[in-house]
Amino acid sequence: MAENEIMYVCKRTVVSTKPVQPGKHHPLSVLDRHMEKNHLRVVCYYKGPRGQEEAGEITKRLRESLSEVLTHFPIMTGRLIQNDKGHWMIKCNDAGVRMVEARAKGNVEDWLGSVDRGRELMLVHWEDMYYKPYFWSTFYVQVTEFEEGGLAIGLSCIHLLADPTCATMFIKAWADTTLPRKMLAPPFFDPLPPRRPGNTIPNHKPYTALIDHYNFSLHNSNPSTVAKHTTITLSFSDHMVQACMDMTQSSTATPNKPSPSPFEALAGLFWVCISKVKSLRNGLLNMSICLDARKVLGLHKAFFGNCMIYNKVHSDGLEEHKLSQAARAIGEVVAKMDSEGIMDLIEWLEQNESPISPLMNSCDLICSNLEVVDIHSSEFIEKLRPIQVSYYVESVFGIGQVLIFPAPPGEGPLGRVAMVTLPEDEVIKLCEDELLLQFSPTILMGVNRTHA
Amino acid sequence: MPPSLPDFSNSVRLKYVKLGYQYLVNHILTLTLLPIMAAIFVEVLSMGPEGMLNLWRSLQFDLVQILCCSFLIIFIATFYFMSKPRSIFLVDYACFKPPITCRVPFATFMEHSRLILKDKPKSVEFQMRILERSGLGEETCLPPAIHYIPPTPNMEAARGEAELVIFSAMDSLFEKTGLKPKDIDILIVNCSLFSPTPSLSAMVINKYKLRSNIKSFNLSGMGCSAGLISIDLARDLLQVHPNSNAVIVSTEIITPNYYQGNERAMLLPNCLFRMGGAAILLTNRRSERRRAKYRLVHVVRTHKGADDKAFRCVFEEEDKEGKVGISLSKDLMAIAGEALKSNITTIGPLVLPASEQLLFLLTLIGRKIFNPKWKPYIPDFRQAFEHFCIHAGGRAVIDELQKNLQLSAEHVEASRMTLHRFGNTSSSSLWYELSYIEAKGRMKKGDRVWQIAFGSGFKCNSAVWKCNRTIKTPINGPWADCIDRYPVHIPEVVKL
Repeated sequence: MAENEIMYVCKRTVVSTKPVQPGKHHPLSVLDRHMEKNHLRVVCYYKGPRGQEEAGEITKRLRESLSEVLTHFPIMTGRLIQNDKGHWMIKCNDAGVRMVEARAKGNVEDWLGSVDRGRELMLVHWEDMYYKPYFWSTFYVQVTEFEEGGLAIGLSCIHLLADPTCATMFIKAWADTTLPRKMLAPPFFDPLPPRRPGNTIPNHKPYTALIDHYNFSLHNSNPSTVAKHTTITLSFSDHMVQACMDMTQSSTATPNKPSPSPFEALAGLFWVCISKVKSLRNGLLNMSICLDARKVLGLHKAFFGNCMIYNKVHSDGLEEHKLSQAARAIGEVVAKMDSEGIMDLIEWLEQNESPISPLMNSCDLICSNLEVVDIHSSEFIEKLRPIQVSYYVESVFGIGQVLIFPAPPGEGPLGRVAMVTLPEDEVIKLCEDELLLQFSPTILMGVNRTHA
Repeated sequence: MPPSLPDFSNSVRLKYVKLGYQYLVNHILTLTLLPIMAAIFVEVLSMGPEGMLNLWRSLQFDLVQILCCSFLIIFIATFYFMSKPRSIFLVDYACFKPPITCRVPFATFMEHSRLILKDKPKSVEFQMRILERSGLGEETCLPPAIHYIPPTPNMEAARGEAELVIFSAMDSLFEKTGLKPKDIDILIVNCSLFSPTPSLSAMVINKYKLRSNIKSFNLSGMGCSAGLISIDLARDLLQVHPNSNAVIVSTEIITPNYYQGNERAMLLPNCLFRMGGAAILLTNRRSERRRAKYRLVHVVRTHKGADDKAFRCVFEEEDKEGKVGISLSKDLMAIAGEALKSNITTIGPLVLPASEQLLFLLTLIGRKIFNPKWKPYIPDFRQAFEHFCIHAGGRAVIDELQKNLQLSAEHVEASRMTLHRFGNTSSSSLWYELSYIEAKGRMKKGDRVWQIAFGSGFKCNSAVWKCNRTIKTPINGPWADCIDRYPVHIPEVVKL
């Protein structure tokens, strides 16, 4: 049934409107190279303007504006080659990105009412790297028009080039170009800044936790392919998130501690709930968090490249099922991920590059904070904001993954959406967990049992 | 004294000798007439007014003789004016500017080629080498159907491309000339490889609601020189129909002809042919002679089809797998050279000044009678023309013609830059080149332009135009946004 719902019209290559100066190369930073084995997928849903345009008109406009916006992103239209050290870099050869056009039956609201992971992924085209990556497009765009109204825009790319923040930045830039509006923030393609020599504090104690975590991951990336994962999307309203934050604070001994952020509260919640679901006897699961480090490192918001850092949260000494302690532990780790620590990590990574890139999400439960993404301000059509957004960081081989990002502005400033990827049976148990249900999350995308 | 100085002064002396010779021979009539007139004048002066009167009285005219003489003069004058061919003016023309979203950079072309010809790496290599040396730039455009993976060259897409190209060019022409669709008396459309039913000219008539007594023609299968064949046809028709407008649409529809096999000789057109088209307005109305840009002086057509090798040199056929493509033979350049020589032999006497013709004649006589080893004299066409528009068929064609006609880099600049920016747009490339010259502000009143086109068959056609009024820049045409970047240096081989 799902196969008949989406009809692929064509696949083509879209190039920028201005030719790229030949001979340009863009090196990839060590953080980029670490993410080689993963890829990213983003889907944005829009309601259609009521019956004003013929089928294919919006797609044509989007294609033209995509050409225009690609002029500002020469990295996206380039291709991967290896430099003399054997590291990946981009040759800006103006080859373009692949675009797939599709049509779907029904309208977008009906689709969202019955969507699941398998069907949602059909809205985002992706091709794994070819044996010879020189002819392989690193970015894929899919535009699906719903016959009775609505639009779904899918973007996928290899994590080597972009993290969710800059993928969102690209979508925003594309939306700005489609409406006749000037693109607000042109991207920055500079490399990660090296440590400024004047900043080295004498007797500087390196924050080794980051380094240890990456070191561990490098040597222990063994993907388990046994369980089949599925993904669900849960939406938490503004006052539910507030209630969660209050609950984490309720039993703290020190009243002077600042209240946990929504991410810490929700990450703690999922940590506790998923640990319960996995029926762990002693304490909580191994978990890592992943944060965007642009602000911490003092980089411009429009920095294009990978800037998400992983760190392990230690669960020793924590009682299981204690939400407040979990949230506090996460909060401590977040506070410790400062500029110095990250710079140490980067330096260490540069010195200890292994030829095989690890899978960062292969051993722990990963909880990623995507709160910096501002996807909801991307309007492709005048005054039409996305009604729903989904993010996927594939492939998930380990215990599971939780991505937390803002809900549409209508839900309030604290509203959050969480996309949880776990083995299928555990997801079902999670949805029935008492603690989770206390915060009455709305299931935006559930598990559809009819699709294997 | 360094040895270079005597050479320099020698060449300067030679230059002055040449100039003197040319001036002498080209103005021989004036130069012989002047002394005679001077002599008569002196004679008249010496005779004085009484002598003149006496001479007049002695002539003894009577009325009948005077009447007969005047009637004879009137009769001859009328006969002369009636039998003079009508002047054909080119009011204006418009070239199709492809949308920038159809651009095909080298990297994209090669990628698509690799994805489609997955198991034929040698063919892909071949295409890459052709593209590297082609002289094309990164802004040439292919129609949308060819951007798909895999390409979908069906009839609907071909019609779509035809509508896009032809209607854009026509709209642009209407805007530039203020022509109303109802005023078109003759319509000629030439598109070599796409010939649907109803024809493309019928498509134009349908779209613009042209008159029911319009004389429409659709030329197909005539190759890249069909543009000049259309001009020739329009000229002949305009001799027969007084006070008429003729619109010519020259284009080549790429969509149905994208070769999907892997025969090397047939892959070449894929690399070179690009989307393009032009619409031209010709007229024989006297009221347009003020604002017309050019006047058509000569059209010379040469057909080498009688020779079998020339006939088979550009041949459309099926390859071993049954896929249709255009096969280019290896002696294409040699045959083109032969056709050009033939064409030059015909056009030379029409356009060359007397000095060049005399030299050519003398060298010819000398070779036949005295010594066959004398080098044939190549007339200097730069004296006959200010501008050259050589069909941008490929870098090799332009190089060959530059060598054969001894043209400077500036003369072939229009052709090279058109090849770089628009690729080989077949019959319309001549109009892009003319537009380039105008955009650069080089076209002055009285300048003569020579358009040369080659085509399958094998044909070599030429048209000679004379500029009617100086054309002021900036002009809005296909070069409007990029003329300042040109000319660019095109390397021998672009590294891909």
